[in-house]
Amino acid sequence: MILEYAIGAFILGGLVGLIRDYKATVKASSFMAFLGSLALLWQVYSVYTNGPVSGNLFGIPLRIDNLSIVFLLIIGLVGTAASLFAINYMEMFENVGKGWVYAVAYNTFLASMALVVTVDSMEYFVMSWELMTLSSFILVFFSEKLRDVDVSVKYYITMHFLDTIPLFLALGTAYSLVGSFDKLTFENIASAMATAPFHTKAVFGGLLMIAFMTKSGMIPFQFWVAETYRAAPTSVSAVMAGAMEKVALYGLIALIWRIVGTSYSLGLFVAVIGAITLTVGTLYALRETNAKRLLAYHSIGQMGYIWLGIGIGMALIPKGGFLGAVGALGAFAGLFHALNHAIFKASLFLSAGAVEYRTGTVNLDELGGLGRTMKVTALAALFASLAISGVPPFNGFLSKWLIYVSGYYSHSYVLALGAVLAAFISAATLASFVKFYGAQFGGDMKRYENVKEVPAGMLAGQWILAGLTLLIGLFPGTVTGILNVFNAPVETNLYKIGFQSVFFSPVLFVIVLGILAFGLYLVFKPEYKEAKPWDCGSTQIDEDEYRINAEGYYIKYEEKIGSFYRLGDWFYSVGAGIIHYIVRAYLWMASYFTKIVDTPYTKVESLDDLREREILHIDEEVFKPLIRFLNIARDVLPGIRLGTFIVIALIVVGAIVGLLIAM
Amino acid sequence: METTAKLAFSFIGVLLTFLLPPYLDGIARRVKARLQYRRGPPLMQTWYDLNKLFNLPSVKPTKSALFTWAPFLALASAVIGALLLPYGNVVPINVGFNLVVFFYVILMVSVFLMLAGLTVQNAFSHLGSAREMQIILTVEPLIAILYGVLAYNAGSLNIADIVSNLHLTPSLVMTYVLLAYALYVESGFVPFDIAEAEQEVIGGPLSEYSGRLLGVFYYAIYIKRFALLWFFVSLLVLPWVGPINTTLKAAEVLAIQFLLTIALYPVIASLEATNARLRIDHVVKMNTRAFFAGVIILAIAFMGW
Repeated sequence: MILEYAIGAFILGGLVGLIRDYKATVKASSFMAFLGSLALLWQVYSVYTNGPVSGNLFGIPLRIDNLSIVFLLIIGLVGTAASLFAINYMEMFENVGKGWVYAVAYNTFLASMALVVTVDSMEYFVMSWELMTLSSFILVFFSEKLRDVDVSVKYYITMHFLDTIPLFLALGTAYSLVGSFDKLTFENIASAMATAPFHTKAVFGGLLMIAFMTKSGMIPFQFWVAETYRAAPTSVSAVMAGAMEKVALYGLIALIWRIVGTSYSLGLFVAVIGAITLTVGTLYALRETNAKRLLAYHSIGQMGYIWLGIGIGMALIPKGGFLGAVGALGAFAGLFHALNHAIFKASLFLSAGAVEYRTGTVNLDELGGLGRTMKVTALAALFASLAISGVPPFNGFLSKWLIYVSGYYSHSYVLALGAVLAAFISAATLASFVKFYGAQFGGDMKRYENVKEVPAGMLAGQWILAGLTLLIGLFPGTVTGILNVFNAPVETNLYKIGFQSVFFSPVLFVIVLGILAFGLYLVFKPEYKEAKPWDCGSTQIDEDEYRINAEGYYIKYEEKIGSFYRLGDWFYSVGAGIIHYIVRAYLWMASYFTKIVDTPYTKVESLDDLREREILHIDEEVFKPLIRFLNIARDVLPGIRLGTFIVIALIVVGAIVGLLIAM
Repeated sequence: METTAKLAFSFIGVLLTFLLPPYLDGIARRVKARLQYRRGPPLMQTWYDLNKLFNLPSVKPTKSALFTWAPFLALASAVIGALLLPYGNVVPINVGFNLVVFFYVILMVSVFLMLAGLTVQNAFSHLGSAREMQIILTVEPLIAILYGVLAYNAGSLNIADIVSNLHLTPSLVMTYVLLAYALYVESGFVPFDIAEAEQEVIGGPLSEYSGRLLGVFYYAIYIKRFALLWFFVSLLVLPWVGPINTTLKAAEVLAIQFLLTIALYPVIASLEATNARLRIDHVVKMNTRAFFAGVIILAIAFMGW
């Protein structure tokens, strides 16, 4: 299996951490991750052409089927681009040092994701999942800024409670059904589940649902996403948003849909969660002015689209007939959007990272005028922005459009309303990406006049993905073969994609658009002279400030839907409150195992106490007296004089003799 | 229908798309003038204005290439949008004969307008772009839900299927009314011309444009308005004239579409002449209400009425 080479490359990438030099470490390990990701793509190609393979890797049973390769493709593409980008980007964190942490965690992260979607055993699924969570947690606090560390701790605790615990309980349920850890393959669980009573199915499915909803940031478990993606290094955020969220989707399809089975109401549940999430996530993104948080909220929103599509599939496929076909189309569109989202979202994160690399900030209110100095990055960001907004002929349009079609055709009010919301949110997405692009690359600013374009490796990372948004948008036939896991009746060939009587032909569209635009350009060939923008004849104005801040773009609209934000904030505060109390509970437990020593008799009350104070753990506490005695002995004994030694020895001997007599 | 007839109809479609829109604006100007007891300019006036602009060089306030290309891309999108519609029963450019594609292609005109406004370091054009986006934000959900009603009523998103399968229900009538409103807003006619408001934000995204490039943008906006009106007229006419089998019938239908388009423009002009521009928050409020009306209409449609 080629996957072995990939895992091998990731392990080597981790071992590279042994090099002491920071720059050499991050460069070499990112490069190994790049090679590993390429190997993943090779694996996808080989399975696509030769059919599914099963095998064994260090005793872990693997099975790579047509569903796995969709997700391997996502991980491979995002991993390739992000790792290439990281080779230069990670230099930014040189003052943190600890290249080995990055080397190990980043490679483990990629390897564990690849394992999650390929293992054929519930036990190893859970283990790889935990490895994925742990390594991503380490990457989130990599910058070691105080705010980021807090975020990463909250991320980990959220994952612990809402992911680890449900998954282990589900693992236990599966074990109780199958009766042996060796036989916990998905097939065995599915056959055991088929005869299991309803409540077992409900428990198993419900637990997994919580875990996967949390990981993909569905409402009401979305509260961890925005800050986590902001805190992580941007190339890592790209992988988290592009690939890690999709792994949860794999879980939804492989573990819930395939093992527990589906029904109309379950599908409806998934679709409704998706529709709510896409609305809430994207409307929150609309008011963000931090580029990375904006992108993070959009990944919540776009995951909502994907769940809506998959939900339509889960609801309608069991019905068969025409509706079954519509359902298959919905599920296909969901997977298609998963791939597309991975591509353009990772690309956008990388663009934000490139801007951060050169200007040191991701605050849209401060940025501006970079279109002139960072042309290549700007064009990549424009492509990806248009793609995520669903503007034809980019890839986002196709998958969104198919989601609308399946929603409108579903003959169900709820699903149709979901499609309506999806179309509406598409406009909101456009709005925030007009802001994202305009605020960073529009205008001319003196402040950033001397900014240079990023190095070639970073550009290549962005353009692998930005190019794909156009390529897949033009020739959807290149990926529909891999994506069509559900045998949806989509008709594709080189120049069109369609379902029954609706179709779209991107190539034709682009040719017509290109000919028209170019022809009109030639007809009305612009002649111009250059001048400065007109500023009402003002002489005192600061030209850098003669513009609208990112914050002010949609302020009227945001005011009008203010009650929506208040409701959302209330939900957020509930979620944050729960996390707060969980943290308190952990601290309460911790207070029995640790003790603050620099100021005695203080209680452990917050995470900061544990971080900033000098603390003593319970194991240290037990052995401390002995260690203290030995320390004293070590310090005192060499300097002792013979007379003193004899006196002490006599006292000790006397005491022992006295004790013996007394007994 | 034989190929020559199809070609002829397509050719008429192309001619209408390129030539008619400025004349329609001329009609509107004449009607407005008459309502205000003025004589008004000749019908060709908008063409004269455009021609004047096409002959002037532009002033370019930025180095961005997008600034130069945006008008042409907007114009191309508007033309494609117009040519995606049926003339008689012939669609000149068939890249995907469905509502969603039409919806997005028309949207692209606004997208390029906004991006163009944002490439310049000018607060007025930024403000105009942001306003344009806010209008889109509130009108798109309305259009989306009305398309939902149409798609459910006809069982398809394909425009050809829609026009042949629509059946008259109360919900459809209400959809027509709201659709007329939504398309009016999207066209940016007077109470809703907030983005390009000359008196407030000196032309919004267009404030830095001049000469030929400005002319191209105006031309794109006229064509976009024409396309939206033609779309509405087609939805109004085509379902009720029965199957179009012969060239003669197609010509009749085309004539009805043409006459109705011309007949509706004075209505639009009188609405424009009798209204004052709204504030952006008013529009947001109105459109939000219209959206919830749309949700109710969709529910009515699903109940089968």
